[in-house]
Amino acid sequence: MAALQTSAPPASPGQERRVIVRRKRTVAQRFRSDWPLLLMTLPAMAQLAVFFYWPSAWNIIAFMDYSPHRAFWDNPLVGFAWFERLFANPYFTPALLNTLKYSFANLLFLFPLSIILALVMHSVVSTKVRSVFQSIVYLPYFFSWVLVVTVFVQTLGSDGLVSNWLLGLGGDRLSFTSNPDTFLFLAWLQWAWKDAGWGMIIFLAALASINPSLYEAAAVDGASRWRRMWHITLPGIRPVIVLLLILHIGGILTVGFEQYQLQRDAIGYQTTEVLDTFIYYRSVIGTEGPSFGTAAGLFKGVIGLILVLVANNVAHRLGEQGIYQKS
Amino acid sequence: MTAIDTKIKPRSARKNTRPVWDEEPSLLGKLVKALFLICYGAAIVLPIWAVVATSFASEQSLTAAGGNLLLIPTDVSLAAYQEIFDGGALTKSLILTIGLTVGGTALSMVLTIGAAYGLSRPGSLLHRPLLMLVLFTFLFAPGLYPSFLVVQKLGLFDNYLSIILPMALSAFNLIVLRSFFMNSVPTELLDAARMDGAGEFRTLFKIVLPMSKAILAVIALFYAVGYWNIYFSAVLYIPGLDTQPIQVVLQRMLMSTQGLPGAAANVSQYQSAAPDSALKMAVVVCTIIPIVIMYPFIQKHFTKAVITGAIKG
Repeated sequence: MAALQTSAPPASPGQERRVIVRRKRTVAQRFRSDWPLLLMTLPAMAQLAVFFYWPSAWNIIAFMDYSPHRAFWDNPLVGFAWFERLFANPYFTPALLNTLKYSFANLLFLFPLSIILALVMHSVVSTKVRSVFQSIVYLPYFFSWVLVVTVFVQTLGSDGLVSNWLLGLGGDRLSFTSNPDTFLFLAWLQWAWKDAGWGMIIFLAALASINPSLYEAAAVDGASRWRRMWHITLPGIRPVIVLLLILHIGGILTVGFEQYQLQRDAIGYQTTEVLDTFIYYRSVIGTEGPSFGTAAGLFKGVIGLILVLVANNVAHRLGEQGIYQKS
Repeated sequence: MTAIDTKIKPRSARKNTRPVWDEEPSLLGKLVKALFLICYGAAIVLPIWAVVATSFASEQSLTAAGGNLLLIPTDVSLAAYQEIFDGGALTKSLILTIGLTVGGTALSMVLTIGAAYGLSRPGSLLHRPLLMLVLFTFLFAPGLYPSFLVVQKLGLFDNYLSIILPMALSAFNLIVLRSFFMNSVPTELLDAARMDGAGEFRTLFKIVLPMSKAILAVIALFYAVGYWNIYFSAVLYIPGLDTQPIQVVLQRMLMSTQGLPGAAANVSQYQSAAPDSALKMAVVVCTIIPIVIMYPFIQKHFTKAVITGAIKG
């Protein structure tokens, strides 16, 4: 970046020469050689402008008393009034707490499960067993939530497969696809079914990048299997763990919409209300209006932005690579 | 499947043998491991199998089994599939979903390839600011309501384009493809092409793209799975249209089984001669099939893409 800032004073003779070479090409000259590249980038930039940056700019209405029936500039600025209203909304705090709950539950459960799956798979010697198992466990990652929820209702629902077995054995029907008290457990099962295999693949790839001679050397020095895991395997996958943690922390308020919306009617909104469903049901199709929903979304977006920057910074301080490098 | 073995496992060179320095695990350890893997695998396979078996079940066998799902089919009936493909609402929904998937993927690929190549030359005009514009999308999300508002302002509400356009570009795929272009296409080749007078477009089509077939296919499949699984954007942007993507149809059928409100009015159009469960499971099978067909290919190549993307992003 510094090299491109031609106005910056050169620090050393070597650098000076490089800067002068770059200076020779004016913007017009660079445009003449680079216009095809810009033209190729244009459609994607147009998409980003319209569907990312334009909506991002619309976040301004979180600070206005916005009405679609007025001209934009006639909407009065109201400062943080909508945020005050948001935090005072009786449904907001439960939605926020639910979001945090599911987010942390997912982190605490899915991460270790994926790592354990990867470690177990890594220790299997037979390539055949490994390839069959891998093919099976991450197939559901590509299924939609509609499909996952359908399969769960059909197997574990009150009329489902397992209920029928239990009835046949003289037991009771299961009720936990519609029981708010066990929803967290149900969500766990769904994550394990849908996403754990994907996590496993990522960790397996990280495991594969560890130099096998490290294991051999450690074994020759008398390190047991567990010590090898502790001193070689875990440090080896630490960068990937940190990377995924940062991404997860940045998305801590984004738990996805579909899993919760799809089970809202069966479980009840108190348990399944997360921030995304809150915005949809209270604002988009509800009565709270555009500015309210925008304020809620902006709250979420800003917290996510801050968290990902902080987490990345912490990772840098701990000597990890993080999601982007300091340049 | 075999390809992923060689890519993922450092032990593949040893071909099913334990290295000499590695001690044999205890019998208990082996048993626990085997049990864990078998249970985990079964928990994933059995429900899918039950779905497929039920989709072919007749009314009698379903009643005999006494439930919504059966593991062992006693007879085979194609009633449910006849229902899906008889030209009614379900057929329309499937055709719509296929159309959205094909059209959306094509558009996504044009955007992604163009930007990935256009941004693959550090030092070109505006390279850095444009790249920053792409990378910023990883850090911030504009929010549900503003996105909804923009779709409304563009007049795309209740228009199928509102499904495709907002999700047409994945910055992640763009970055993955860009780092492939930068790292895996030899610069000498590009320089040689330029010496021979080939323009950027010619270089892209004649040299870069033919060298990137595998990763292009993987990215296309990821986009395709995304469009195929569209549910939320349909709920948000096209609630008023009669023909809905297949996931929305499936959701309505699911709601009606659970006896929940909200679907009753919509679901009557899907009722049929085939058993209710069988029909629903046949829809599930139809939504799974394309994914299962694409799956071996994704499997073969995607881990590499994921890892390069994660590291270079």
